[in-house]
Amino acid sequence: MLGELLAALPGALGQGLILCAEIAAVVLPLLFGYELAKAYGVFERPWPGLRPVMAFMGLGPGAVVPLLAGLFLGILYGAGIMISLSREQGLAAAERLALGVFLVTCHAVVEDTAIFVLLGGSAFFMLVPRLVLAVGLTAWLARRGRARRGA
Amino acid sequence: MPTPPAIVQAAPPWRQALRASYARGGRFLWFLVKMVLPWYLASELLLRSGVLAHLSSFLAPVMGLWGLPPEAAAVLLAGMLVNLYAAAAVAAPLALSWQQVSVLGLILGICHSLLVEAVVVRELTPRYRALTLLRLGLGLGAGWLLALALC
Repeated sequence: MLGELLAALPGALGQGLILCAEIAAVVLPLLFGYELAKAYGVFERPWPGLRPVMAFMGLGPGAVVPLLAGLFLGILYGAGIMISLSREQGLAAAERLALGVFLVTCHAVVEDTAIFVLLGGSAFFMLVPRLVLAVGLTAWLARRGRARRGA
Repeated sequence: MPTPPAIVQAAPPWRQALRASYARGGRFLWFLVKMVLPWYLASELLLRSGVLAHLSSFLAPVMGLWGLPPEAAAVLLAGMLVNLYAAAAVAAPLALSWQQVSVLGLILGICHSLLVEAVVVRELTPRYRALTLLRLGLGLGAGWLLALALC
């Protein structure tokens, strides 16, 4: 039993390294893409085209940058941009909560999806439900909040 | 002696991006090997020795709700408590179908790295505990619906 497991160890080690290499081959180009986008200020633009979608979710123009940073960079790597900006832009508590609801559901979408596509998962079924849930839930929250305030 | 005029030109953005991703990429590779290799080896050895099946067999009826084998509970735990790279490393030796990987990818895409990410979300909104519970419910719920649709 133990001998069998020991005999399987070198093969498993090799397979594990191959998995590392596969993940690296997907994520390293993504890292470069994020850095390029950051360097060219993609996350600092106002993106007026997004305003209607943002408004639908009860988010003002001040939330665009933290949202984009979280959506693509992720909660951990985008944390710096997200937190400092939501402070600078003076987002209201309700707006911060809405941003939180959206982002906990849906962040680092490219990277997360890519890891499981590598294992054979379907990008469509992993990504689309997540986006729909995040947008729908945040929009629902905004409407409920507005109804409560009686506006 | 007069100091020569400083010819300091800011590097073009793409070079800044290249430099930044070189540094980050190196750190990422090291992180990946440290993260994936131990989890992959543990999963492979526990699977081959039958320990994983033994430990998880009582979960079979629960995991069946998501169309997953009981061993996949280890993938969910690794993803929720550690991160998606650990989850992928645990999942790789399990020989799952594309439907099963998609269900896992959707659950864990919504609901992963709960402990470290809650720390960041706390900076955004004081209701981070509620948001963490929301992720758990939403992830498992969405995964259940996807399993119903696909399996």
